[in-house]
Amino acid sequence: MRALRTLGAALTLCAAAWLTAAAPAAADGKDGTDGGSGKEAPTEAGTNFRTATEIQPGQRATAAASTGDYLYWVFPAAAGQVPGVEAELKLPDTSSRHGGATWQLDVYDGLRRHQPCASGTPARRAAQQDRTVTVSCTLRQVRSWSERWANDPLQGAYYVRLTVVDLPAQDLGLPIDAEVEASVRDAGGAHADGGDVTPLNPVLRAGTTPGTDSGTDSEPTGDASSDSADSADDEGGDVPHAVAEPEDDWGSGWWSDRWVWTVAGAALAALAGVGGYTLTRGPRAPGRPPIGTGSDI
Amino acid sequence: MIIKKRLATGALGLLTALACGLISPPAAMAGEPAPDSPKVELVLDVSGSMRARDVDGDTRMAAAKQAFNEVLDATPEEVRLGIRTLGANYPGKDRTAGCRDSERLYPVGQVDRTEAKAAVATLRPTGWTPIGLALRGASKDLSGGEGTRRIVLITDGEDSCGLPDPCDVARELAAQGTHLVVDTLGLTLDRKVREQLSCIAEATGGTYTAIQHRDQLSSRIKQLVRRSADTPVQAPTPVAGAAQCAKAPYLGSGLYSDRETFGEHRWYRMRVAPGQELRASASVAVDRAVDPDYGVLVRAVTPGGRELVRGSEAGSGRTDVISSGLRYPVADVDDDEDETARTVCLELSQSFSAPASVKRAPGLPVELAVDVVDNDDPPADVAAFGLGRGWVLLGVLTVGGLLVGLLWGWLARWRVTVWRSN
Repeated sequence: MRALRTLGAALTLCAAAWLTAAAPAAADGKDGTDGGSGKEAPTEAGTNFRTATEIQPGQRATAAASTGDYLYWVFPAAAGQVPGVEAELKLPDTSSRHGGATWQLDVYDGLRRHQPCASGTPARRAAQQDRTVTVSCTLRQVRSWSERWANDPLQGAYYVRLTVVDLPAQDLGLPIDAEVEASVRDAGGAHADGGDVTPLNPVLRAGTTPGTDSGTDSEPTGDASSDSADSADDEGGDVPHAVAEPEDDWGSGWWSDRWVWTVAGAALAALAGVGGYTLTRGPRAPGRPPIGTGSDI
Repeated sequence: MIIKKRLATGALGLLTALACGLISPPAAMAGEPAPDSPKVELVLDVSGSMRARDVDGDTRMAAAKQAFNEVLDATPEEVRLGIRTLGANYPGKDRTAGCRDSERLYPVGQVDRTEAKAAVATLRPTGWTPIGLALRGASKDLSGGEGTRRIVLITDGEDSCGLPDPCDVARELAAQGTHLVVDTLGLTLDRKVREQLSCIAEATGGTYTAIQHRDQLSSRIKQLVRRSADTPVQAPTPVAGAAQCAKAPYLGSGLYSDRETFGEHRWYRMRVAPGQELRASASVAVDRAVDPDYGVLVRAVTPGGRELVRGSEAGSGRTDVISSGLRYPVADVDDDEDETARTVCLELSQSFSAPASVKRAPGLPVELAVDVVDNDDPPADVAAFGLGRGWVLLGVLTVGGLLVGLLWGWLARWRVTVWRSN
């Protein structure tokens, strides 16, 4: 009995220790996610591809920065969507500026390839008296598959870079406020295409120690195969990626309204077929075999 | 009997405690920050010019002190913070002595707010501005550990010592592979200060801010300290690419960093098994003054020298980085014989150039993000599942159905006629 009681007491203490220790950790975790994929819009921007702040489409993210900073965000886009980004900048006081400046928005895909803007104004010159400047960029539709030689946008992470590209040197370092919002518009079944690629969602982890060529050939092979096995396992695992998978998946699912069109077409064809067949029979009394009419012609 | 029972009880308790200790979260055991917790050092200029009264009617020194107090209060628990001064001790005219005046005011570690504030309160604007020396000192203060390192330099004047040039020092520190970032804050809008501080920031991938107001100073430092706590700890693994594929290092999956000088080509190797796809992105950062037009080229090449696929990008004007990437799927094989991983060589080159006055070494910072993922699935048809869509489709199907119906009806009538006539 006594042993049991001691055990119970020890377990209670243990649980208490666990709770107290876990509480701040949990709080930390919550703080961490709030900046990233939580419900609240992020208030900071990253400074390079690696530290880009994750935003969700529809979220209005803000950041306080200095003129000349390079601000990075990253958002997910699924196949069949048309991603777009709009950014608004509150410029420094007109009195402290010395001339106009050109602000530019660049969008890169998950392979850090620069993506052209199909529409929008990715670069705009703000005159000295302007208080705000708005830049925007709408990409081409995200494909679910492309040739490996193509630069087509594919499902995965999209990086947004906002910066000033041309300014009077005296204006460097002055404070600005940036607001950025990504949006994804569904392109619809008219653009539903086939094929599939693993989303271009870069892993954010340090590379494994590079293998040397001096060793035997088998050693790097072993390393590489274990690595690739890891990465295959990690698809849904704990390895941090640039963005979290969207709630509605990466697209390229089986459903599109092409099914409706095709089935409707099949039904129409069947009806028309029955109609055509009936036409050849000509007008007759219902339920009677068309024997007489057929032989008279 | 009783002793035995007690012994058993004790042993059981001990076991439970041990198990408890073993399975309890690591945070419970570590009262101090983890070894990979981020480190930040604030480097404050305490030179004579800090007496100037031009920050909201107060002296620059007073504004800095107030900002430091606010920052110390707002420092996140996990950040290890240190303070270093420059020009705080030697008031004389002797250049040699003045240019050796940089002191660690508060060691990098968990912050004791009262102690740190007391140390800051003792500061009086005094001496010279040896920025290069202070940066080297700060880098030493931050050495050790795996976490991110950040120096926040707050100054109101350019380096008054000349050598070492603080901009070169910053580039040299960044090239040591410790992932050090220097953010600079200028307390004056002077041209020379701006040029020097933005050069230091650019050399390490940091930021430069011109401070005009007191609240701006404290909010910016707070933001930078917070940023270093938010930045992921996963720093890229250093790697040195070879001049040719045969001698290139094998990369795994993840982030790597390297340096590449102007006109250089660097090679790396990856192993990709059939049924897998190679993903590689490379970005070359600009850490010094370069000519306005530039480009980058990443190629995937077989060991035999045949090009498989390439990614390229060109640009002009102000930029922090130029990047490109490629993907190379290796087709799956049907038989079990040839399942060995293929070696793919990656070649990285860039077309940056710089005026003759710009230093060539160390090379430009390169970041590689490589990965091996599952192969793609090429579509059998352009449209999803080969399905159709649109009014033309409906029309064609309807007319087609009608024609087939008519044909079938006539066929049936013809057959009946033939049957009856027989």
